[in-house]
Amino acid sequence: MHKYTLARPLVLTLALALAACGSDPEPPVEQIVVREPGAPVAAPSEAATSDGAAADPAAAGKAAFAACAACHSIEPGGASGVGPNLAGVVGRKAGTLAGFAYSDAMKGSGITWSEAELDAFIANPAAKVPGTSMAAGAVSDEAKRAAIIAYLTGITG
Amino acid sequence: MDNADNPKPQRSRAAKWTRRGFIGAGVLTGGALLIGVGVRPGNPVGKLGPIVANGEGEQLINSWLKIDANNVATAIVPHCEMGQGAHSALAQMLADELDADWSMVRVMQAPADGNYIVTDTARLFVAPGTVDAPDWLEPTWNGLFTNIGRLADAMITGGSSSVRSTGQHTMRIAGAAARHMLVAAAAKSWGVPASEITTANSMLSHAASGKSAPYAEFAAAAAEQDMPQTPPLKQPKAYRLMGTDAPRLDIPSKVDGSASFGIDAVVPDQQLSYAAVRRVPVPGTRVTSMKAEQAEGMPGVLQILNMGDFIAVVADGYWQAQQALNLITAEYSEPESTIRTSDDQYARFTAALDEAGDDGGDKAASNGDAVEAFGSAATKVEVEYRAPYLAHSPLEPMNATVWVRDGKCDVWTSTQVPLMARTAAAKATGLSTDDVTIHHPLLGGGFGRRLETDYVTMAARIGAATGYPVKMIWSREEDTQKGLFRCADISRFKGGLDQNGKLVAYNNVFTQRHDPPGSFDCAFYDIPNKSIRVAEAELLLPFASLRSVDHGQQGFFIESFIDEAAGAAGKDPVEFRLGMLGQSPRHKAVLEKVAAMADWGNTPEGHGKGVALVESFGTIVAEVVEVDMTSGSPRLVTVWCAADPGFAVNPDGFRNQMEGGIVYGLTAALYGEISLKDGAVEQSNFHDYKMLRMNECPAIAVEIINGDHVTLGGAGEPGLPPVAPALANAIFAATGKRLREMPFAKQFA
Repeated sequence: MHKYTLARPLVLTLALALAACGSDPEPPVEQIVVREPGAPVAAPSEAATSDGAAADPAAAGKAAFAACAACHSIEPGGASGVGPNLAGVVGRKAGTLAGFAYSDAMKGSGITWSEAELDAFIANPAAKVPGTSMAAGAVSDEAKRAAIIAYLTGITG
Repeated sequence: MDNADNPKPQRSRAAKWTRRGFIGAGVLTGGALLIGVGVRPGNPVGKLGPIVANGEGEQLINSWLKIDANNVATAIVPHCEMGQGAHSALAQMLADELDADWSMVRVMQAPADGNYIVTDTARLFVAPGTVDAPDWLEPTWNGLFTNIGRLADAMITGGSSSVRSTGQHTMRIAGAAARHMLVAAAAKSWGVPASEITTANSMLSHAASGKSAPYAEFAAAAAEQDMPQTPPLKQPKAYRLMGTDAPRLDIPSKVDGSASFGIDAVVPDQQLSYAAVRRVPVPGTRVTSMKAEQAEGMPGVLQILNMGDFIAVVADGYWQAQQALNLITAEYSEPESTIRTSDDQYARFTAALDEAGDDGGDKAASNGDAVEAFGSAATKVEVEYRAPYLAHSPLEPMNATVWVRDGKCDVWTSTQVPLMARTAAAKATGLSTDDVTIHHPLLGGGFGRRLETDYVTMAARIGAATGYPVKMIWSREEDTQKGLFRCADISRFKGGLDQNGKLVAYNNVFTQRHDPPGSFDCAFYDIPNKSIRVAEAELLLPFASLRSVDHGQQGFFIESFIDEAAGAAGKDPVEFRLGMLGQSPRHKAVLEKVAAMADWGNTPEGHGKGVALVESFGTIVAEVVEVDMTSGSPRLVTVWCAADPGFAVNPDGFRNQMEGGIVYGLTAALYGEISLKDGAVEQSNFHDYKMLRMNECPAIAVEIINGDHVTLGGAGEPGLPPVAPALANAIFAATGKRLREMPFAKQFA
């Protein structure tokens, strides 16, 4: 039979009870309503359409790069994410950005990233560099690849 | 079941509890029987009946069991299923006492309702070691815990407690009581003595008259019988299902893909929108400005919300929301804490430990005079260990689906604490808890992360802003960087050995004490002078329990130190430990068992074997790791595990949990590290927060000792704590290199 201590459960009761409470209702500081669910899209976004691409290749590249941005930063000097930072990638030797843990395949690829090499790699990363860690993100659309590469060319490291 | 060998109830908490407990039954006009066991008076029939038994005219009182017209028995389980097998194990315990046919048993998740609080778990969490209150105080004590349970929303799955608390003290009684009532009903109908009726495989039989019937036939009549307050429970030799590898009830749905997890939630008849979120990078800071013009123009975007502590984009699809969120830039306020890097964090610990010195800080445990004994010791061991922050990284990232409308809120989410989730959603929306409904399906991993409700609050705030149904999903990066974490810590030891190599002084101080109580100690070792102290220090990252909680780092600290003490004494690590286990026969048996399993004393060239012994969550576990160091970095060969959980209700499930704990613990031992830079978490995804891969996984052998069938231990967590120290000790045995900091792999790069 154990000795029981009344002080401890009561103190912890309070802690548990407090832990159970969240904050009071806290509304948004800013709320930007673009449209309601199910409502038609008002006007196509310029950057995201092919018309926009024709008018402004850099904007098209930026929009197309959104898919890449989940893993790759393009902020000069910024940290790498799941993938290496791509600021200044055009002209860089593959697998050489300091601080990023490249696959052995990439480190040993011997590639220097020209526009053509980038195009081939983005079209099918695993075919261009078998063993690369880049398991997702292939861009099959040739125009999109060109736009992305044009966009990257403009961002120096 | 033959009760002849069991004339009176075993003295278990279960029996004691229900003496003051309240057991009720209700007749179901649909031919189903509902049995309830609770620990308090009251009549929640009207409220619970429609929720757990959907037939017309059903009656219900605190229900844990229903039997339907097809003779299917359904256990209504208050704990959640996150892969640990609790649903199935608890049903197995109820079904054994019921003498049910396992193929006719189902399990149902109890709803998030105050009537399903797990009072027993509340006790375990709030006042461990106090459960054996004297009989005269029990009613008051019991009532106190019920009130605490309600106040604290104690419907909790954690602490490796489901089987040892709710299973042992509620589900078994529910099954036994139901069986008793079925027998009574059949005896009355058949005009024979109840004592002549036997039960097996969900059937009632009377040998002399040759009569027999399925349970379903007497379900309605059984509900009208007197409810036994202390039904006799089976002794182990009468167990039919407990102690067997009864097939788990949740496996088929996980194989065929029909199992539904929180992230699979759909809102019936409603279009769902999706939210991606980005919390502030440094805990406690605020968004001071947000630039979202680009995101506004992205396809599918519905709303952009600056919530102050996070930014959310709501869109038609999750991918669209996340893509738009990636384009938003923001400025943040200055953090209050001056901790910016991991070095800063460790410096905070070091300062607190320096200040505590040899005798300062909060005394956590002590006997004898450790300072004096250290001063006069023949051999001294002064060492310091450290462990980093860890993220839980469940496969299913944090998510919640919320629909707030017309003064009501529905939440679909994976949670270990459904009632706390309800309270969190109520607070976030300004509604009362009665207006909030929690739907909590299976969890794609919990590991303690889902004991927290921060993500439910976030989703509820988004839902309150939109007014339409939204599913919020955290990206893997968000899940790795912005949640709550296992604490980092430093622990210092001053150990002293006498002339004979006996450990006579043990002086230990560290900075982080969370749960469970006593996890900082190794009380099973006979050490005459001991002082264990806590010198509290600030943590930058918010804390959440992570599988095995403080035992995770403490197991590493304590069992590494014991190994170093053995080395200083010039003794074999197993022999040294056995020498301190004179008062702990169960621990001794477990250690001897694992040494025999591992062929301790024989090790291939270039390999090393290390041992560790930890008791956690009521289960005693010893593990031996064999590591191959011939390549210069550790390759895991084999882990042998011997465990005494009292009694393993489902040995296969128990072994699974030991294996899972070992793999999760090896991940932390080799790779686990959340580090800080500029006040934020550096790691982001599985490329830099690695898991143990299949090709790195050692062979694992588990053996079970059933040492006490009344007071059970847990399964979900106890496999983890010994594995990191056993690996560090094995690496030392192979190389002479002593690892005093987790994780290990980078120290061989």
